[in-house]
Amino acid sequence: MSRPLLEVDHLVMNYTTEKGDVSAIQDVSFTLNEGESLGLVGESGCGKTSIAMSLLRLVAENARFDSGEIRLDGTDLLSLTDEEMRQRRWNDISMVFQGAMNAWNPVYKVGDQIREAMDLHFHPRLSNAEVEARISKLFELVGLNPAMMNRYPHEFSGGMRQRAIIAMALSCDPKIIIADEPTTALDVIVQDQILQELKKIQADLGMSIIYISHDIAVIAEVTDKIGVMYAGKLVELGSTREVFARPRHPYAFLLLSSTPSVTGPRRKLAPLEGEPPDLLNPPTGCRFHPRCPYATDQCATDEPPMEDAGDGHQVACWNWKEVPELGGLTK
Amino acid sequence: MSQPLLKVENLTKLFPVSKGFLRTPTDFIHAVDGINFEIQPGESLGLVGESGCGKSTTGRMLVKLMEASSGHVLMSDKTHTDDLIDIANIPNDQMKRFRRRVQMIFQDPYESMNPRRTVFETVSEPLTVQNIGSLKEREERVSEMLRLVGLAPPDAFLFRYPHELSGGQRQRVAIARALVLDPSFVVADEPTSMLDVSIRISIMDLMLKLADEFDVSYLYITHDLAVARYMCDRIAVMYLGKIVEIGDTEEILGNPQHPYTKALLSAVPVPDPSFKREEVEILGGITKAINPPSECRFIERCPWAKDVCRTSDHPPLEDKGDGHYVACHLVESALTSA
Ligand SMILES: Nc1ncnc2c1ncn2[C@@H]1O[C@H](COP(=O)(O)OP(=O)(O)OP(=O)(O)O)[C@@H](O)[C@H]1O
Ligand SMILES: Nc1ncnc2c1ncn2[C@@H]1O[C@H](COP(=O)(O)OP(=O)(O)OP(=O)(O)O)[C@@H](O)[C@H]1O
Ligand code: SF4
Ligand code: SF4
Ligand SMILES: [Mg+2]
Ligand SMILES: [Mg+2]
Repeated sequence: MSRPLLEVDHLVMNYTTEKGDVSAIQDVSFTLNEGESLGLVGESGCGKTSIAMSLLRLVAENARFDSGEIRLDGTDLLSLTDEEMRQRRWNDISMVFQGAMNAWNPVYKVGDQIREAMDLHFHPRLSNAEVEARISKLFELVGLNPAMMNRYPHEFSGGMRQRAIIAMALSCDPKIIIADEPTTALDVIVQDQILQELKKIQADLGMSIIYISHDIAVIAEVTDKIGVMYAGKLVELGSTREVFARPRHPYAFLLLSSTPSVTGPRRKLAPLEGEPPDLLNPPTGCRFHPRCPYATDQCATDEPPMEDAGDGHQVACWNWKEVPELGGLTK
Repeated sequence: MSQPLLKVENLTKLFPVSKGFLRTPTDFIHAVDGINFEIQPGESLGLVGESGCGKSTTGRMLVKLMEASSGHVLMSDKTHTDDLIDIANIPNDQMKRFRRRVQMIFQDPYESMNPRRTVFETVSEPLTVQNIGSLKEREERVSEMLRLVGLAPPDAFLFRYPHELSGGQRQRVAIARALVLDPSFVVADEPTSMLDVSIRISIMDLMLKLADEFDVSYLYITHDLAVARYMCDRIAVMYLGKIVEIGDTEEILGNPQHPYTKALLSAVPVPDPSFKREEVEILGGITKAINPPSECRFIERCPWAKDVCRTSDHPPLEDKGDGHYVACHLVESALTSA
């Protein structure tokens, strides 16, 4: 099944600011296959949204791509003209933006706002009736009553607004959807319903999805593959099952050890000491070294490369072999 | 059982739904609707449920930041008698003492500190208000608190302003402030939900450690059942103003009885991809209890509702054994028919 659809290859991106460069994406590589779901997880400020915005080339004006490629079906998106990129956006890759459910324009009907997005981006030009039929179908797909398309955003609950955002992201029939914290502000029951629906839509339409979340439990529910980020770097990448069963990077290990769960034995959690670094002045060597219990002298000076730890499970750490088994978490 | 620290009786809060000026309101949100529970000394009770179910309103009434529409909050007051006193009737000359014994920690570490006050001013303020100690003694006490909450060395933090602190550090300051007067009861309203996971655990561990050391009781408000499990001895599940189930934490999570608790629990994402969750059905429904009907508050969303649910009032919380209380007609009949 799996043909590489999207390849991010040694991507480096900095934000230029008065105080200096913010190193938001540092040498990140990963592949997304057709029909696959990939999760990017990490704490606030580690660069998740920066990666998402880079894939759509919708980064802030002060963003600067210094090296690397983002290849979609073999074409480097960073080398396209603005117009060529505009053609691909929404049609090839679309996005559920972080916090978008609160960004509906209150004075227009929800259906009209989706129609506008389709008018701007959708390739096959559709008649009004066709657009309406399509929105209607999309609403059903995301679990909304099609009649709701003639309602205003304030008549939608939070969960309904997010479903409509997902319908909009699907409107141009993309190959890839990036969902940036798609359920973060929602109650757990609504979150679960939306995640299950996304899973089903993905399977039915054979789409690829990149999920972005700070919540590893959410990522565990919906993805085939997971990338753990720390301070602008991808530090571990592998199948979700593998990474959760046997995290190799000390940060991934501690993140999993410090996540409470309603299942499994009730256990003491291991806190991660310290705080994530300021990306204006990221630590030298391994960016995790000031907080890492496994750090050795080398870690403060040399940046660890991504290394294969078996079964395509990759890790960027000099001492990954020292990281113990995760006791009890997956029993 | 020993004398509770806190006893809540039929506590209720109705908010009028305003319908234009000068009109007497006829519609009310039943934010908290006749709830009952107790908290033992040193115990931590988790209050969980969806957004808008009345958790914060409950917490605010317990610390007298908001007045109840009806019902009572009774608190033990060891220094006087063994009796429980109604916090609504605390005489003015004893209010200061009450304010000293109960504290609240809020969700947003960015709003819980005045931006123009230093850490020292924020943490020492309760001492100043209570007229406790000389300036030097207060300085010592504040330094001690900062060390306890992990802001060490204290000298490095005492004269910082909020914008010079991270979110986690601010929440530590809020905890130091809440605990500086050695309270016996603290309402913690989602104290870690705005923080990153890595910081969350150290704050939770800190609160557990301090509870242990100072014998503090918590009402720990959270929408996250996994967090409640980590923090709390018992859990109360709230749905639209009602407590629908309450009991020991492991009992509630391992043996949930109320249809809502079951649905809530089954929807919690689990950080283990090999775990297969049980799907529990729940219907869509209202999210605000405005003039709710007298039947079970959950009836609209309950896939198991039977005739008895439609013809009876909202079921009372009943003991199903070992302090596990459930408010559901069917759970009761299931047990009696068994
Ligand atoms: N336009 C910008 N200019 C300068 N710095 C920026 C800009 N946008 C983001 N940053 C910084 O880049 C880093 C990565 O930010 P990003 O939004 O990608 O993080 P994130 O992982 O999505 O965080 P969150 O979980 O909070 O959404 C952060 O340190 C952030 O402060
Ligand atoms: N001051 C107020 N005036 C009017 N209605 C209010 C007020 N405070 C709360 N409410 C309403 O009372 C109900 C309960 O609110 P409350 O804030 O206690 O919920 P909660 O469980 O804390 O929710 P969340 O998880 O979102 O914090 C909600 O319907 C809310 O809209
Ligand atoms: S490279 Fe060194 S500091 Fe970085 S995670 Fe590995 S052991 Fe820790
Ligand atoms: S009382 Fe009836 S409607 Fe209410 S939760 Fe129980 S079964 Fe459902
Ligand atoms: Mg983000
Ligand atoms: Mg609240």
